[in-house]
Amino acid sequence: MTNELIALLVPALLLFSAIFILLYGLSSSYTKQKGYTITLITLFLSFILSVSTITEKHSIDVLPDIFNSMLVYDTFSATFISLFLFGGFLTLAIAKSFIDKTTYFTHESFVLLLFSLFGMVILSMAKELLTAFIALEIASMSVYVLVGLNKNSLKASEAFFKYLLLGSFSASFYLLGMMLIYAQAKSTNLDAIAEYILHTELHSQLLIVAGSLLIMITIMFKIASVPFGAWVIDVYEGASLPITAYMAGVFKIAVFAFALRVFLLDYITFESIYDPLIIGGAVVTMIGGSLLAIIQTSVKKMLAASSVVHSGYLLVALASVEVNNQDGAHAIMFYLFAYFISAIGAFGVLSYISKGGDVLITYDDLNGLGKDKPLIAASLSIFMLSLAGFPSTIGFIGKFYIFTSAIETGYTSLAVFGALSAFVSIYYYFKVIVHLYFKESVHLNVDYGYKVSLAFIIISAFIVLWGGVGTSLLFDIPGINELNKLTQHSIESLGL
Amino acid sequence: MSDSLILNILLLSPLLSATLIFLLNISISGVKQYIYTSLALAGSGISALLALYLSYFSYFENQVFTSHLFTWLSIEDFIVEVALKADALSSFMILFIAPVSFLIHVYASGYMNKDKSYGRFFAYFNLFIFFMFLLVLADNPIIMFIGWEGVGLTSYALIGFYFEDIKNTYAGNKAFIANRVGDFGFLSALMLLFLEIGSGGMSFDAILSNIGQIEAPMLSLIAFLLFVGAMGKSAQIPLFVWLPDAMAGPTPVSALIHAATMVTAGVYMVARFAPLYNLTFDVSLFIAYIGAFSALFAAIVATRQFDIKKILAYSTMSQLGFMFMALGVGAYSTALFHMFTHAFFKALLFMGAGAIIVAFHHKQDIRELRGIKESMPALFVMILIATLTISAIPPLSAFFSKDAIMSALYASGHAPLFLMAFTASLLTVFYMFRLVFVVFYSNTKQVGEANSKSMLYPMTVLTIFSIFAGLLNMPEIFGGNLNMSNWLDIADKKFIVTHFDELMLMSINTLAIIGVIFYTYKRYAYTNTIDKESEHTLVANKFYIDEIYSAVVVKPLYALSILFDKHISNNLIDNTIHNLALYYEKLGLLFSGFENGNVRNYALYMLVGAVSGFIYLYVLLRAAL
Repeated sequence: MTNELIALLVPALLLFSAIFILLYGLSSSYTKQKGYTITLITLFLSFILSVSTITEKHSIDVLPDIFNSMLVYDTFSATFISLFLFGGFLTLAIAKSFIDKTTYFTHESFVLLLFSLFGMVILSMAKELLTAFIALEIASMSVYVLVGLNKNSLKASEAFFKYLLLGSFSASFYLLGMMLIYAQAKSTNLDAIAEYILHTELHSQLLIVAGSLLIMITIMFKIASVPFGAWVIDVYEGASLPITAYMAGVFKIAVFAFALRVFLLDYITFESIYDPLIIGGAVVTMIGGSLLAIIQTSVKKMLAASSVVHSGYLLVALASVEVNNQDGAHAIMFYLFAYFISAIGAFGVLSYISKGGDVLITYDDLNGLGKDKPLIAASLSIFMLSLAGFPSTIGFIGKFYIFTSAIETGYTSLAVFGALSAFVSIYYYFKVIVHLYFKESVHLNVDYGYKVSLAFIIISAFIVLWGGVGTSLLFDIPGINELNKLTQHSIESLGL
Repeated sequence: MSDSLILNILLLSPLLSATLIFLLNISISGVKQYIYTSLALAGSGISALLALYLSYFSYFENQVFTSHLFTWLSIEDFIVEVALKADALSSFMILFIAPVSFLIHVYASGYMNKDKSYGRFFAYFNLFIFFMFLLVLADNPIIMFIGWEGVGLTSYALIGFYFEDIKNTYAGNKAFIANRVGDFGFLSALMLLFLEIGSGGMSFDAILSNIGQIEAPMLSLIAFLLFVGAMGKSAQIPLFVWLPDAMAGPTPVSALIHAATMVTAGVYMVARFAPLYNLTFDVSLFIAYIGAFSALFAAIVATRQFDIKKILAYSTMSQLGFMFMALGVGAYSTALFHMFTHAFFKALLFMGAGAIIVAFHHKQDIRELRGIKESMPALFVMILIATLTISAIPPLSAFFSKDAIMSALYASGHAPLFLMAFTASLLTVFYMFRLVFVVFYSNTKQVGEANSKSMLYPMTVLTIFSIFAGLLNMPEIFGGNLNMSNWLDIADKKFIVTHFDELMLMSINTLAIIGVIFYTYKRYAYTNTIDKESEHTLVANKFYIDEIYSAVVVKPLYALSILFDKHISNNLIDNTIHNLALYYEKLGLLFSGFENGNVRNYALYMLVGAVSGFIYLYVLLRAAL
């Protein structure tokens, strides 16, 4: 199969499968089990398709006659698409127990999930601002609804409205920014804009600079960086656990996929103008996030707040990207993978032990789990270690790349600041481990069942460890080196 | 089979069997004992055979075996290769380590028979020989250090093998801690070597060819620190205190680890760095004197011990002292030769002691073990031969090795060294025959259980080795040609002793020894002198060294630790961290006021962010407007 065919096939598969479930859901023979299975199979198939194209460096315009260079399928987008699909698959697989035990995962929820993935796939291929906007909105709209899935929960509805309202507000920034850029560059195509920037002086680029800042604000909103991400705790709290995992893990990657492409293609020329802004954003995001995370009593809210801190690290890496030094970009991709697998795992464990309940899982609910359920507790500890950036987990390698790229660019103090914030993060992540192992048990031997969900949690934990220590010394399983190579190919395929 | 494969199998087969035994032991309960036995014997047996093969080719064809396993670290010019190399010295080491290990494995299968931790014992035992091989086969001191630490660790685990009795655990701790002091010296020396000449590579060859670049004071410091490591492992003054206590472990452990192999690691290390020590005369002389004092001290203490294993432990320390004396005056291959013969007769003595202990239900006091000659005649013969060997009676093996040390000391011109060595060697005869005469020559009679064959056969083999091992390095005077010294080809200092002097030395020595034997016979055989000897004299309490250490080193350190624990750790560090966390949390609570759940506020924050971004842009780009 040619890459072009796969580029079309993957979104088509998601879209048609979504429409199929939408229609099939009305039939009387539909059961939740069937919808779930179809979604899972769709995700698996499309993942296999897209992952087959990441091994080599390639870049093609998708049907330029029809789409007029709006979409590009390169290793960069293929890698990100594989990540979303893998993430979606993993979230859903781990959430099996949660979905079975709740009533609000109707057939529309699967449809919305597939739609949002479709939006993200298009977003990562978009090479044009308007297309990107539409794709981003497709994804966002679906996620808004997914947040409010549990109609009976006041919290969920509240979260849904807040998110919708603020999301629309932030979208307006994007539209205005796009308009300003179009007014000056006479195009919304990223290549054309880059061309324009290259051949004009700064005084005739001011609208582009301003418009880019507006677009950046939308991105900052989506990745929940301070001060644009105040919604994050309320929304993450209100959404049901699998959806929170999905937002924190998968959706954030999609936004970064687009952010990285825009940044590397266009903004990079303004790098010196934006760097102070990004650095400022990174610093307040890391401080604000860790301040919020440290006071939470619920593990879910702590994870939500700490996801803000992780956005801060990513901004550090973004600030270290320079015209002739793209190490920061590799670092971002690697870190995204590291964060996504650890976050999905951590939220997955929570959803697994919450058994579909609506309760917030507090630290005390974890007491003594280490004795009762050693496997779950060990996996959760591994995810926490990885999120905190401990050596021998993938999270350590991710942070290592980010901080070294910052130091190489000359932002040593920023790297030190990042390390300090990682130090603080040990406090709230290790609190989980303390409660798992060093507190008396409150659990009556509960049987959580759903060995499949557990199996996927353990697989994620294994990936976290393998990504941290994996070598091809013993077995030929892709480890750090391969992941590293992949991110480099991806960045190179952008054709900078 | 290729050369590197042989080395790899030799090294890894005990590791493999240790792993298998360990896995079996933790996963399945009630595994049949013979499965453990066959795994353990296979692991050590294969390496023993390969070791013989290796040393054969090394001895007769001067072949050097190498194996490069993988690159461990590669950080710019700091490259650590995991590589093995069996040159003459390493081949010589495994020539006695591997077979003796195998024999003691066989012996242990009888000694540990029906022990409830049989599997665990052999897992540690095989792991030990893996680390020992790693120590002697390493191509660079970093890998050697891994083996060095590994043998320390397994030694610790085996001393405290019967951990239900807390005393054994304390003995293990003591060994571990005393060895850590030595390890600190070794490690510091390695770091200094790296700082000085690390850029030239860290393999032994590279280091030894580059030591000329180091300035003399630094070189002396390195040599000294290396020897501190050797002091710890080889139980020399002042780090010897752990060895007598280490006898808490099962007797095969004492035979293998605390007599024949691990404790000789220090000797091996000094010999390995012989070119370095040839450049640092002061440190070498220091080594010789430490060895002399250790030999004399241990020999004196041994004369008033009553525990059969403690006597042998002090004897080991004393014999190691002889080796260090030889090393110190530059007679490296002589020291190694004595180490070689020592491995056989000392292992044999320990095994004999173990056999007695088993037969008489764990009695270890020689006063309670009187008159056992009739019930174990074969054992008596073997122990007697071993005792004659350690006393250096011609033509048994230790006669050649000890005599070589004595003539080297004589020829080196350091009279005090020679006199101390001479006294220590006579004391050796005294305390060993005291043991023999008390235990075997008595008016009372005792009957013990018969020993199993798996214990007696390995002892028989070792008896033969003890008698004939001396042939390997026959001095010129007896028509030999120092085969071993030529094989090892170490930078020995050459000592010229006339044949007349040498013969005189030998005769005086031998006559003195025979005299001491007669004296001891008169004193202890068929008498109750032993019962009159007090347990409370200065000597019997080993000069109160343990108490002195405790008062001078342990107690102040302990007080300091408590001080640190209370004031530094609790008050300073913990409180600081607690307060930091507390203030951070307070700050968080303040900050969370922003997170008040009102969408209008959230939108306001966004607006504030956007506006400040634009103000920044305006200020920055005002000029371009």
